[in-house]
Amino acid sequence: MGRFITRRVLQGILVVVVAALLIFLATFALGDPFASTGEKAVPPEVAALNRAKFGMDQPLVIQFLHYLGNLFTGDLGIDFDQRRPVTELIGAVLPNTIILGLVAMLFLLLFGVSAGILAAVRRYSFWDALVTVLTTVMIGIPVFVLAIFLVANVSGIGPFPPVPRSFTVEVPWYFDVLLPAFTLAVIEAAFVARLMRGSMLEVLRADYVRTARAKGLPERTVLGRHAVRNSLLPVVTFVGLTLGSYVGGAIITETVFQYNGVGYLLSRAIVNNNAPVIMAVVIYTVIAYVVLSLIVDILYAYLDPRIRLN
Amino acid sequence: MRGRRAAASAIALTAVVGLVLTGCSQQSNTGTSGDAAQAGAGFPETPVPEQVPGKPGGIFRLGITEPTAIDPYNVQESEGSLVAKQLFTGLVQVQPNGDEYPGVAQSWESNDNCTQWTFALKPNQTFSNGEALTSASFKRGWERTSAKASASEVSYHLDQVQGYDEMQAGTAQQLSGVNATDPNSLVVSLKEPNCEFELRTAHPALSPIPTVAGGADNATYNDLPIGNGPFKMDGAWRHDQGIRLVRNDAYTAGEKANLDAVEITITPADTGADTEYNGFRNGQFDWARMPTPVYQQAQAEFDPQGKWLSRKTAGINFLVVNVTKPPLDTVAARKAVSMAIDRAAITAGVFQGGQSPATAFVPPAFPQTYQPGVCDACTFDPERAKQLAQEAGFQPGTEINFQFNTGGGHEEWTAAVRQQIEQNLGIKVNYEGVPFRDLLDNQQSPTVTGISRLAWSADYPTAANFLTPLLATRSIGAASPNDPALGDNRGRYSNPEFDRLMDQASATKDEAQRDDLYKQAEKIAIGDDLALIPMFERQQYRLINTEKFANLGMDFYENPTLETITLK
Repeated sequence: MGRFITRRVLQGILVVVVAALLIFLATFALGDPFASTGEKAVPPEVAALNRAKFGMDQPLVIQFLHYLGNLFTGDLGIDFDQRRPVTELIGAVLPNTIILGLVAMLFLLLFGVSAGILAAVRRYSFWDALVTVLTTVMIGIPVFVLAIFLVANVSGIGPFPPVPRSFTVEVPWYFDVLLPAFTLAVIEAAFVARLMRGSMLEVLRADYVRTARAKGLPERTVLGRHAVRNSLLPVVTFVGLTLGSYVGGAIITETVFQYNGVGYLLSRAIVNNNAPVIMAVVIYTVIAYVVLSLIVDILYAYLDPRIRLN
Repeated sequence: MRGRRAAASAIALTAVVGLVLTGCSQQSNTGTSGDAAQAGAGFPETPVPEQVPGKPGGIFRLGITEPTAIDPYNVQESEGSLVAKQLFTGLVQVQPNGDEYPGVAQSWESNDNCTQWTFALKPNQTFSNGEALTSASFKRGWERTSAKASASEVSYHLDQVQGYDEMQAGTAQQLSGVNATDPNSLVVSLKEPNCEFELRTAHPALSPIPTVAGGADNATYNDLPIGNGPFKMDGAWRHDQGIRLVRNDAYTAGEKANLDAVEITITPADTGADTEYNGFRNGQFDWARMPTPVYQQAQAEFDPQGKWLSRKTAGINFLVVNVTKPPLDTVAARKAVSMAIDRAAITAGVFQGGQSPATAFVPPAFPQTYQPGVCDACTFDPERAKQLAQEAGFQPGTEINFQFNTGGGHEEWTAAVRQQIEQNLGIKVNYEGVPFRDLLDNQQSPTVTGISRLAWSADYPTAANFLTPLLATRSIGAASPNDPALGDNRGRYSNPEFDRLMDQASATKDEAQRDDLYKQAEKIAIGDDLALIPMFERQQYRLINTEKFANLGMDFYENPTLETITLK
């Protein structure tokens, strides 16, 4: 297990370096960020001062190595626009994104897993058909359509804050997070329900379930202890990667709801060509993915001893 | 509008969101045609509100997009200016109509050749923290802006001051041209004559700064600037959320503000207009922009209620022309292209009547120098255009490159321009949309030919701010024709007579004479040479809450006149 983890960590670092290189080259293809303010050219001398301030007068290779070196010491540089430390920018919005991700995950598991179990256990019943129809509809809805619908029709009503809400009106965090979290969860919950149903049906046909039933265990125990636990394997992978995307910031959802998280930060940085922020958020997302897939693998090993023994 | 990078490359995703939001608001408006605007002439301007006595108090709420900076050293777009102008009062201020009036300076004068300026300050001025404000406060502010370490993107507004180059090079710690030995008088020496230099001091980059500010890298002060304006910060700038200002009761440079507070909510850059419009409708905002598709409906609904504000502002939309390269290196060719464009049809169709066709380069916001019709080739005349095209040697196989930037809302009108040129001149237009960065690079490139779009708005209320940067030889910013044009004159227009007139104007103290020289210069560059092609005069529309507030107008920089607003 220790060697397994070590290998995966080293792989992860390699992934981060390669991703850093790619995003570094991509953002530099955007062109000179200091050539103008709006439509007005900034005098060449002033632009040169800015390039020097951001180390952009160095050769590209040096810039990249410098960036990489800073990255591993936790220094993400300062942003082009307001000259604030990028770590501070991300740090300010990260808690919001984590809260959003966790609440969405809660919705996801609650709706997705239970609907999947229900559909599998009551196969071909009304409930099964209902879950199939609903999940088909849900999968078909683009996330921004749902988000815009909710912003237009639900936010501003009752306890839900209007978008944009005046920053001086404090709203309890749970009302702030509810709609975006629901938006994030509802579409992926459909995938989880489908996955859970398929996996559950397979497990229900397995020998050990038959054995358990033959032993005369109560159905509740059969399902809970044997079937559900074993059916969760594919769902865990999916949920792990989903969480990765949440942690990287649900760009569309956060942007439409103007939810002050990492995804909204990234979408603004892209619109404003704010390369240091774009690079930092992307790399941070890659790291989050690497860490989460490592956790998923370990969970896998825990859920299925065969993997652990191999 | 956040100019700087908002127009730059937008990802498909946010663009999609923007489109959909626009689509939504469009949809909710079907079936209401309202009063059609005058075809192709822009909506009429609403009268400037009369100043009436009003009650103090009230909280004024509006939305802006996240500024680059509100600390004067790097204030650049209208959002940042909106905040900085409330926090800081400079030497000279500008009325909504472009007239100057005293700020901290009670009077100012220059020497005979306009190379030395003396500003007499009002006595007993203070910052909102109680610190005394003297001429040294201005020197401090100007040095902070022009210091090399600040790397300010707007420091060039000080570039005429002696010692600026040394500051930028990092070889001096003080601006040698600024003398603040007398606390009540500021003496400024310039490198070249400028008889309008006082207008530059209205720019936020030239604000006075208290000692607590420190360097430009003082993050605390960046987010919580302390100034001498009619308002002061109520807590630090909450990035991406909002800024709250409260009245500065110790304000002495002018009349105290009436509003208790200004609540500024920060909205996303690419959907800001939709957000503000919806926010106004549901009572969240007292001042709002709106997306182009709803202009007519909004005017029909809000104009009768007195909540509609329409103003021609100091800006212009035009086509950059590469005048040094065929096929547009002759006057006839440029005039042919210009006369083939039906501006009125485009303003009526694409802009819903929201912009006016331009017939001059200096916009009507400068009444002293505005010369409607000076661009005689700005009228639509396909017959004359064809003749000129023949004169210019256009063949059916002639091709003109035409570039615009995507994501900035320029797709529709540029497409119409392309179609009209092709149809009316029988030539081929190589029409291409590129990201804003690329457009900029291409405009600067020494090899590019043809036309591309650009817009300009004033930093100072003077025609020189249009003519010099965009048409003077020195504004090309290239050492040779093979170097990139790093200045704002990207069409590389150069005419010694024009340059001479502009230099002469800059050194002319008499205002009427100066304006006359500007007019002559514009006549040469636009009327005779058509060095670039004027397209539309900038016109701005806002929805305003006149139910609650009085004395609410639009200032020279397209922001609400916060310092005059009163409760009704």
